[in-house]
Amino acid sequence: MIPSEAPVRKAFSAGLAELNENMTTLAELAELAIRKAAATLEEPVAMGGGDGKDVFTLDQEIYALKQQVVKSAVDLIALHAPVAKDLRLITTCLEISTDLDRIGRYSKDIVEITGMLGSDVHAPAAAIGDLKKMGDLAIEMVDRAVDAFVQRNAELVADIVRRDDPIDSLHDKVFHEIIDRIEDRSISPRIGAEFILINRYFERLADHAVNIGLHVTYMVSGERPRIKGDLSGPSPGSLQ
Amino acid sequence: MAKMSTVGLSATYGSGPVIQEVSLDFQDRSVTAIIGPSGCGKSTLIRCLNRMHETVPKARVTGQVLLDGNNIYDQDPTQVRRRIGMVFQRPNPFATMTIYDNVAASLRFNGRHSRAQTDDVVLKSLQAAALWDEVKDKLFKPATSLSGGQQQRLCIARALAAQPEVLLMDEPCSALDPISTAKIEDLIFGLKREYCVIIVTHNMQQAARVADRTAFLYLGKLVEYNDTKEMFERPKEKLTEAYVSGRFG
Repeated sequence: MIPSEAPVRKAFSAGLAELNENMTTLAELAELAIRKAAATLEEPVAMGGGDGKDVFTLDQEIYALKQQVVKSAVDLIALHAPVAKDLRLITTCLEISTDLDRIGRYSKDIVEITGMLGSDVHAPAAAIGDLKKMGDLAIEMVDRAVDAFVQRNAELVADIVRRDDPIDSLHDKVFHEIIDRIEDRSISPRIGAEFILINRYFERLADHAVNIGLHVTYMVSGERPRIKGDLSGPSPGSLQ
Repeated sequence: MAKMSTVGLSATYGSGPVIQEVSLDFQDRSVTAIIGPSGCGKSTLIRCLNRMHETVPKARVTGQVLLDGNNIYDQDPTQVRRRIGMVFQRPNPFATMTIYDNVAASLRFNGRHSRAQTDDVVLKSLQAAALWDEVKDKLFKPATSLSGGQQQRLCIARALAAQPEVLLMDEPCSALDPISTAKIEDLIFGLKREYCVIIVTHNMQQAARVADRTAFLYLGKLVEYNDTKEMFERPKEKLTEAYVSGRFG
């Protein structure tokens, strides 16, 4: 049994608490960015307005907070020589903060495109519908990944990994739909290319959610799952 | 096979047991660290490994300590201590002797040797202890003229001169400054190429830096024994986690 008079390492504990608080805020901002970016597919906005403008601001805030997280993590390592669970938490924060930063950046990239396309572009309806589905799935995955981190719950991770396959399928479907529309000249190659990029960004957002999940698994258990299949059961996994 | 093992080892100083039923394997050509809070029995354990524990009145040991599979408690203690050298917390060179004589003393306790043989052993021992370059021009000056860190390396050289198979170190850096500590740690890293090194340390980061495997003792019992990397990244026991994280001890 651990002695009751055990010291709590106040300075270190305060540093960990601050790191955790910043990470939670960072995760919430990233989740908000992807929600707002996906919403611009429903209601395309003029460049620089509404949700689009918010996402640009969020991206900057996410980047600034990520830098703060990295600084705090490095300070904690340098000053307190953390080990075991503490070390896993801090290194996981470093890794996840990069994923969250990328989520913010992809959200901004999506909004740049939807803002540029505006409401008068005739996008292929089927592709738009599937992109919205991808957006919803990616939001669910990021939401679940953030929950897994905040709750230190590795059991949620298998669910995140399972949701990645439908996204990959939709990614392939949307890609071919857009290529078909370019070939039958119902959309221009430039517009088609922009939608292919949005398609790619949603797929990458989902991958970052999976990465976060894998990092959470390591943080909680100390085990590093090498492949998605390690977490999603008998279904075939792909290399991370 | 492990170079050295304890099998159900318990030790007492007359009252309650200080260590209880400790079973550990120590591999040859590797460093094993024993960590734990004050009073956990780690120094007692290491002193049982070369039969120094029994030099204390009323001290008693049960269980076995095997060296190459043979119980050292069935052997001549002097012979055991020649095969299992020890370095202590505070440098303890023979104060009245020169640097040279401190190292040569180990040979003199183990029979007669020619001057050439002694010179050779002194040279090799001081080189192995990473001290030769610093003392080669003052071998016949008093050992006490050396700094604390140099004196500790001299004690290591003295232990190596007896050509031991196992080297025990009981908090060898606790009285040293950071530079001297780093030199001793570098030395330990080199010594493991030839010896089974067992080190007791209060400094968990030192254990993390120098040891291949680490044993955690608490209240005289072995709580966890694992590869050092595992011990400090994902300890199996909650108690180990709390100790290595600095949350008690």
